[in-house]
Amino acid sequence: MFAAPGFPWLLRHELRVLWRSSILVRTHRHVIIPVLVSGALFQGIALLLAHQVVAHPISQPTLLLAANINIVFLFALMFSKAMTSSIDVIYGRGDADFLLASPIPPGRVLAVRMLGVAASIAAPWMLLGGVFGNALAIYGQFWGLSVYPMFFAEALLVAALAFAVVVVLLRFISPQATRRTGHTLALLTGVGIFIIGQLPRFVPKATLGQFWWSLLPGPDGGGLPFLFARGLIGQPDALASALALALAGFCIVWFFLAKPFADGVISAVASRPRGRADAQNGKFRASPFAATIAKDMRLLFRFPGIVTQIIYRSLTLVPVVLILAGRFHMGGMGNGMAATVPLLVFLAGQLGLFFISVLAGCETIPELALTAPVPASTPQRAALAASAYATIFILAAPALAVLARAPELLLALIIGVTGVLFSNLLLGQKMPIPLVRAQFGKTSTGTVLGLILGVSVSSVWSLITWVAVAPNPLAWLINTHS
Amino acid sequence: MDGVNARVISDSALNVRGLSKSFGRKVVENLDLTIQPGEFYALLGPNGAGKTTTLRMIAGLMRPDAGSIEVFGRDVLADPLEAKSIMAWIPDEPLLYDKLSPLEYLEFIAGLWRVEPKLALERANELLETLGLWPHRHERCEGFSRGMKQKTVLAGALIHKPKFLLLDEPLTGLDAAASRLVKDLLLAETQKGAAIILTTHILEVAERLATRIGILSGGALLAQGDLAALKTQAGLEHGSLEDVFLHLTKTI
Repeated sequence: MFAAPGFPWLLRHELRVLWRSSILVRTHRHVIIPVLVSGALFQGIALLLAHQVVAHPISQPTLLLAANINIVFLFALMFSKAMTSSIDVIYGRGDADFLLASPIPPGRVLAVRMLGVAASIAAPWMLLGGVFGNALAIYGQFWGLSVYPMFFAEALLVAALAFAVVVVLLRFISPQATRRTGHTLALLTGVGIFIIGQLPRFVPKATLGQFWWSLLPGPDGGGLPFLFARGLIGQPDALASALALALAGFCIVWFFLAKPFADGVISAVASRPRGRADAQNGKFRASPFAATIAKDMRLLFRFPGIVTQIIYRSLTLVPVVLILAGRFHMGGMGNGMAATVPLLVFLAGQLGLFFISVLAGCETIPELALTAPVPASTPQRAALAASAYATIFILAAPALAVLARAPELLLALIIGVTGVLFSNLLLGQKMPIPLVRAQFGKTSTGTVLGLILGVSVSSVWSLITWVAVAPNPLAWLINTHS
Repeated sequence: MDGVNARVISDSALNVRGLSKSFGRKVVENLDLTIQPGEFYALLGPNGAGKTTTLRMIAGLMRPDAGSIEVFGRDVLADPLEAKSIMAWIPDEPLLYDKLSPLEYLEFIAGLWRVEPKLALERANELLETLGLWPHRHERCEGFSRGMKQKTVLAGALIHKPKFLLLDEPLTGLDAAASRLVKDLLLAETQKGAAIILTTHILEVAERLATRIGILSGGALLAQGDLAALKTQAGLEHGSLEDVFLHLTKTI
């Protein structure tokens, strides 16, 4: 009698796939040393921070409030990622079809997938939080190690919630609309966190203080809303309860929503998106270059989550807007207008790198253009032009706003943006950043080395323009410390 | 080269001489192949015989180690762009961008081959109608079946009216009706003077469509000619193409 492979076997497969597609494995081996150095550096910083925590103990209610704020922020960040991962798990990975066509019960497949999502959203935070937890443990505060089980418990709950939202949405709207909703929710979550982070700039300190004071837990430890926070600071009963709650939530969602969904039909190719007649306006291009750019622009703006990704990358614009609105001050920098140039140059570099990486990942059939009577460089040149055009399109409004206030910055801005685009577009074409999930059976494009080098190049150009435009480039630093 | 041979070369749709390619081992070895305009040539062979490599070299995607390739008198190696301008290549895996609609895909292809825009649009509409893709012309290809993808690729190959078509397993994934439609479309192209070289594992397709059949094995052409000639070469006057193929390639 045939016995389908069990849950542990499938989980091992899922974790292996996740590991092999993870940034760490796809990274060029030469990056491992800088990564290890960065890890050691982080651990060093965490030791310093932990020393401060140990040396200046704070009251239990304040500690609980701080822990709860972390839990809530982390929840939002994890949810953002879990929504997109959940949709990808169902619709973005070809091997879902493969596994669902196998004799393994579909519910088991989806349970493992949900666990995979939980593991993937927990891992980076466990790594980051773990550094601090380890440091506390080194100082004898072993409760710091509770960061590992608590972050995983939180990830379990978040993955369950995200799956529930996705499955419910799929009952009413198409997979494409669900994907868009997921990305929008993720975006709103991210923007919400950012706005909360900016509140101290706009809300008086006294009002903020009153607000935080009202959130402090009472003598009972805050009850259920502070359960995870109590677990995070190492209270054993709260830790056990939080783990049990997370596991129960996960199982409930799996049993009542995910399993029936999986037992129905799910397929990565089950749905065919409806077309829009105006997407192709009935005009054909005459030149290969124009036709290739048109194709590239379409691929670029149809990249899943493009709006979210652009907005995240464009957060550099916030300080620019704050400077323009006169709400951002740094000692010794006057009105701070000079700082807008390096900020815009950095943004140009990051957007350019992102766009060219998307196009590199979307170029699934390079052979097609090679069979055409065009020079082999045409697709590359068109991709560079499309990426540069998209970047400049986004930068146009803020750049014009800056130039209206400080026209003397024009030359530096043009040189900086041109330089950083030239460098990062060429770099991105050779070494795209990891963005595009590989099709089943295909190798994904993108390396972390490209990401590291791209950020470095953007930073260098940003620094060059800063030195060029700032009357005294180090004034803000000196004034801050004096 | 004497006058007769020179005329044959310049009049040929495809003229391959001494073509060789190796990837550690010989994949194509000293291959000579001539196809005339209006001819439908089927290249058969067992897996790993060198069919796809031969087609890729003719399409200008791979440089041979030795030999020459001319398409309608244009030297593929010396002047690849000129040669590519009259060729279309359809590989076994559909070359499509999932995020483009068929109409957008055809716009891209027409642009690459510099087809005059108004003419290209007319031709695109005509091909989409003929291939039954008109209702789906604005839908993205990501949700298409294999057959629909293959038909879209075929429309792309025909939009610039190539004189020479290289087809690697073009009927894969097509249903019976679509398969008939594609066969008719390809035969119509040959009647207009285009030449076609096709690889297939479906021997019935070769038997019904091809004016000449070549059997490739180990990178070398074992036999070629029409079906009757192949039967004679194999000494199997009453056998089928399958019998001839298996006998010549000694796969049984």
